[in-house]
Amino acid sequence: MELFRKTLDPVIALSAIAVLDLFLFLLVGSWTVGGGETMMTGLMAKWILGDDIARIPFWSLMFVPDAGYWKIYISLGMFFGALVGAVVSKEFHLRIPRRLTEWVLATVGGLLMGIGIRLAFVCNVSTFFGLTPELNLGGYLAISGIIAGAWVGSRVYKKLLEV
Amino acid sequence: MSVVGECLVAFIFGSVVGLLVQRSRFCNTAALRDAILFKTYRNTKALLVAMMILSVGIPLFITFDQGNPMSFDVGLNTMIGLFLFGIGMVFAGACTVSTWVKSAEGNIAAAWALLFTFVGMFLSSLIWTVSYWPPAPPSMTGQPNLEALQFGFANAATIQNNLGIPAVVFGLVQALVLFAIYRAIRRKEAARQATQTEGAAVARPKLAAGPAAAE
Repeated sequence: MELFRKTLDPVIALSAIAVLDLFLFLLVGSWTVGGGETMMTGLMAKWILGDDIARIPFWSLMFVPDAGYWKIYISLGMFFGALVGAVVSKEFHLRIPRRLTEWVLATVGGLLMGIGIRLAFVCNVSTFFGLTPELNLGGYLAISGIIAGAWVGSRVYKKLLEV
Repeated sequence: MSVVGECLVAFIFGSVVGLLVQRSRFCNTAALRDAILFKTYRNTKALLVAMMILSVGIPLFITFDQGNPMSFDVGLNTMIGLFLFGIGMVFAGACTVSTWVKSAEGNIAAAWALLFTFVGMFLSSLIWTVSYWPPAPPSMTGQPNLEALQFGFANAATIQNNLGIPAVVFGLVQALVLFAIYRAIRRKEAARQATQTEGAAVARPKLAAGPAAAE
């Protein structure tokens, strides 16, 4: 099948995703990833801490762990769809970072993404594919923030690569 | 729609997105990072086209009171949070979508970054307080609340209600702005390509004449 032999033009891929996103918006809600990931964090924390999780107000008032939260399944679906794509096109390869810098950057980067999502209540997906198309004030604030952050991150990243 | 129905729709949507992103190698991080660092716009153009489609489609639905827009107050925390996120995604080399997609391709660094995204979220949950900051329901009143650094809530529906102009009009204006950015990028790429072609054409006769002539 052609789809698994050649790289798809990202403009075509993202146009198709945008049209699908319109249907998701009509049927269930806006496409976000951070909300589902937050709920997964709560479910994992509940699995590890048990009933003690109720002592943390965030998990008893804001995000009560619930496996029936639909946004979780967007993330699981993305993993499944990408896995099918990678396996069928023979692009699945285990790639383990060799340098310590890569591990440190992935750790710090992951932490900043998690903290940033929870502070903002939005992620990059809801910024570009939800809030901004909804003409939400938050979309413009979030876009300003993410562009500034990507600029600072890119400068630091470049310096690190030069060392 | 039932809970099972919602989860099923979400899973099908996510699966198609995952497949398309994997096959196109689209990355939101690259859309910003590559434009800033390398002045290449492969992913930026795709992001802009998707946003153009959504900027017309979503306000069109909102005009007729259809769809399910996000509804919560925003504030300085929105900007600061995404600023931290922007730094993080460049460091990790992946965003919320590509951490899942790259993990599925066997990229351990992406899976590691995803794991620490969960850790970051859990750490944030420990400092969250219901009373004040980071913003919680009591400080989100729907109106500007400067004491809590909250700007309130405004979207296509509130603009339509307040101004009496259909939301889709503003969506079209936004799509046009995005198209102008897209066209500027295309022009920049065309100019660069023309310079490169010109450079190659100048270098060719010199090389044909031999290395000495090229010096």
